[in-house]
Amino acid sequence: MSTALLTAPDEAAALEELHRLGCTDGLPVIIPTQERVDRMVLATGLDPGDIIGEMGPLMGAASVEKVAAAAVMAGCLPDHVPVVIAAIKAMCQPEFDLREMQATTHCTAPLLIVNGPVRNTAGIASGFGVMGPGHRANASIGRAVRLAMINIGGARPGESDMALHGHPGKFAFCIAEDEENSPFPPLHTTFGYEPTQSVVTVVGAEAPHSAFFIGDADDPDGSAEELLAILASMIAAPGTNNLVLGGEGAVIVVMNPDHTAVLEAAGYDRVKTQQRLADLAVVPAEQARRLHPRQFANFKGDEVKAIRHPEQVIIVQAGGTGLYSMVMPTWNAGAHRNQAVHEAIDLDQACEVPWATST
Amino acid sequence: MSLVTEKFWPQGDFVAMSEGMSDLPRVQLPHPVAGSGQENMAKVAVEIRDQLVRSLERR
Repeated sequence: MSTALLTAPDEAAALEELHRLGCTDGLPVIIPTQERVDRMVLATGLDPGDIIGEMGPLMGAASVEKVAAAAVMAGCLPDHVPVVIAAIKAMCQPEFDLREMQATTHCTAPLLIVNGPVRNTAGIASGFGVMGPGHRANASIGRAVRLAMINIGGARPGESDMALHGHPGKFAFCIAEDEENSPFPPLHTTFGYEPTQSVVTVVGAEAPHSAFFIGDADDPDGSAEELLAILASMIAAPGTNNLVLGGEGAVIVVMNPDHTAVLEAAGYDRVKTQQRLADLAVVPAEQARRLHPRQFANFKGDEVKAIRHPEQVIIVQAGGTGLYSMVMPTWNAGAHRNQAVHEAIDLDQACEVPWATST
Repeated sequence: MSLVTEKFWPQGDFVAMSEGMSDLPRVQLPHPVAGSGQENMAKVAVEIRDQLVRSLERR
């Protein structure tokens, strides 16, 4: 992709030109003037030419400068950009299969889950409406990653991004874990990080599917089992890739505080929850053969599993208090079968720079 | 008369104002109530009973 500097007589014309060139997500962007990009680069504390990774399918070099341009376009503040850089670094790990994920006909989009102190310094929301509009950091960080996927990775709908439908999370899909109120340890500590580190976990995910559940504190064990059965039934829904493609990859469960409290009351920690979900997320082979006669014609066994690796069930607490949790099935394909990846967010390099949107 | 849990109290303020019913009587409940068990729900009911009656009498 050309790195030539574009020119336009004014910002309105520049915006129209960016739309015409397919450099936007369809919404207006902040024009990435050289001055704005330079200041965003300065905020990273990194060299503009530093390469974070290669983004497929174009295999564009994700330099700090180009990522900073995406961050400017998305409306990021300087505090947001270390998260964007770490997310892209994570997505450039071979295990993420970014090129294949960008090109697939499935609707998958990278979900960013942020842990550690940066949640507070960058203002990344983890409560009510966590996946919806109204949270600047979540929206800007998620959008910057998407704009990098478009402009560095070369994803163009119907041309190189062949998702049949996509989903709204392809505009922006970034949440923080509600660590302070969760009975489980922060997600990143399960990958070996310290609680004081800031980390982004990235996993390709479908749009969230709502799981309705009301517990009964008078029956904690029964309530937990009911809740887990509901979540598992959604993971193993016969139309999901998790079930049809063998259950090798990740699945995401974003639980509201009331639902994690139900699990805690019954003695469930994250590992026990993952294992129980894996046990329950099955479909009788007879049903699978009836619904997918060609895929399961030669299947041996009594039941089809949607989760073969319990550790790939990504469980986080986020969202408001109430009746609903969210399940996100995944693509489950590519060479690495849709694994979750993670990367530490380097805040030591970041510089504080004056920031104004008027420049 | 509306029974509203503490977590949803600000939303109650918003809706009451937008509907022009800012004086709508409301009683605040702890959150959550749903699923908190029969004993707890009975305890909450006892705790709000007098407040509920007073609010209705004022109407």
